[in-house]
Amino acid sequence: MIDIDKIEKLAALKLKEKEKKAILNDLEEIIHYFEILKEVDTENVEPQIYTKGAQLFLRKDEIENGLNKEALEKNKTLASGNFYRVKHIIGE
Amino acid sequence: MTITDLPISSLVNKLRNKEITAREVIENYAKNIYEKEKNIKAFINLDIENALKRAEELDKMDEKKGLLFGVPVAVKDNMNVKNCETTAGSQILKGYISPYNATVVKKLEEENAIIIGKTNMDEFAMGSSNENSSFFPTHNPVNYDYVPGGSSGGSAASVKSEEALAALGSDTGGSVREPAAFCGVVGLKPTYGLVSRYGLIAFSSSLDQIGPLTRNVKDCAIMLNAIVGFDLHDETSVNIKKEDYTSFLGKEIKGKRIGIIKEVMDFNIQDEIKEELKKTVSTLVKLGATVTEISIAHLKYALPAYYIVAPSEASSNLSRFDGVRYGLTVQGENLTSTYELTRAEGFGKEVKRRILIGTFALSAGYYDAYYLKASKVRKILANEFEKAFEAVDTLLLPTTATTAFKLGEKKSPLEMYMSDIFTIPVNLAGLPSISVPHGNDKNGLPIGMQFIGNWFKEKELLQIAYAVENG
Repeated sequence: MIDIDKIEKLAALKLKEKEKKAILNDLEEIIHYFEILKEVDTENVEPQIYTKGAQLFLRKDEIENGLNKEALEKNKTLASGNFYRVKHIIGE
Repeated sequence: MTITDLPISSLVNKLRNKEITAREVIENYAKNIYEKEKNIKAFINLDIENALKRAEELDKMDEKKGLLFGVPVAVKDNMNVKNCETTAGSQILKGYISPYNATVVKKLEEENAIIIGKTNMDEFAMGSSNENSSFFPTHNPVNYDYVPGGSSGGSAASVKSEEALAALGSDTGGSVREPAAFCGVVGLKPTYGLVSRYGLIAFSSSLDQIGPLTRNVKDCAIMLNAIVGFDLHDETSVNIKKEDYTSFLGKEIKGKRIGIIKEVMDFNIQDEIKEELKKTVSTLVKLGATVTEISIAHLKYALPAYYIVAPSEASSNLSRFDGVRYGLTVQGENLTSTYELTRAEGFGKEVKRRILIGTFALSAGYYDAYYLKASKVRKILANEFEKAFEAVDTLLLPTTATTAFKLGEKKSPLEMYMSDIFTIPVNLAGLPSISVPHGNDKNGLPIGMQFIGNWFKEKELLQIAYAVENG
């Protein structure tokens, strides 16, 4: 039922062949367990995405002191100081 | 009584009256850490030197302000502490240095708490035993052969072992309450939205909530006072009036209506835990509360619903870990393969499982049958809780069906997932809930009783927990 190659690609995870087999077994067992939800009549029930009481709001579009470059530089080399360096994506 | 035996309010008073110094406090806790940490392994990162420096600064202050003045606090390693490494227990974040403070950390610092270290956890908070930490498992301070619970196992263990006076954990499906029960400390999951999640590494954004782990209920209320508050940086933060959560402690609970969830008894519960539940009921009745049976008919569907909703949100939240901006990078031949290889190398087995479950549940053709179905079941459960709270003030049930298990004992993922059957429904509904130690089993392992309050009724919840703790 689970197309592991497709799911793996969607999740951007490259599993090793051995690992893939073990994980697929686990997933099948877990997803099979979800079948129990079929017993619940959810006809005319609205889905709940956020919890009760959550009031989503927007904040004012005001400039705040954001993260400074020095702090970010501790984590990765910024090419030319202002950009992240990644492999080329044009012409692939 | 030694310095490390003092509860928060006594310690803060002694510091204010200059009976002791903050430096002495940290030195005493450091002594505990040096003695016990090799066996317990509660921390991923310790910074005693920095804590001592901070203590000296506090000692120099003329005005000794702050609810947590000089209190050594441990913080779960999924919360950003500026200039410290924050890994969330994962290799993919090894070496990531936080460029900012989480709102809760900022609040702790404003109250003059001293952060002594970052605690171990199941990778990205996915687990119930701390065995999913990619670094090492934490051991239960009560018995080193047993797990401390998870995912905030390091936080619970640090409080139990007196390596810290209080700790912060995060609770997505029981990750504060289950380790609190397993280690014999108090753990609170506040109402969703009460405590800011800004700077908490997101696992499942509609379920995650930060909460305190402490030695007793009063300390828990003080910690809650310190960390609550509306935050513009968390769009699910709720703007309600600030309350004093200690104000109902010690008030009598006569006339309070307590509900026992009928369906809990359908599960296989350890006999000693059933006994403690009965004793808790007797205590409540003795104190003048009324105890009635309440039905949450869909209780057993909470676990499967949760294991669809949480991994679905996680599969989206964890997409940010791609090796570009921080942490591990494994270079591939192009950008896509760099993502894929970094994530394959950096994530542990359980995290991969959950990302894949979530990706599957959200994928075309399966969304309605899994994610949408689970979200509807979630609604049914929330409605049942809402109805229950028309009839009662607080619900009572055990925190877990068993006491702590041995390291390596649980083999399959599903077996591990079952550890959270009694804590998960609370997160799906967004309710507040507290675990309070109540007796031990025959092996001396702690038992936790769980109280669930109505939305934003933390004051009443703490009042009842306090009454039982002292009953």
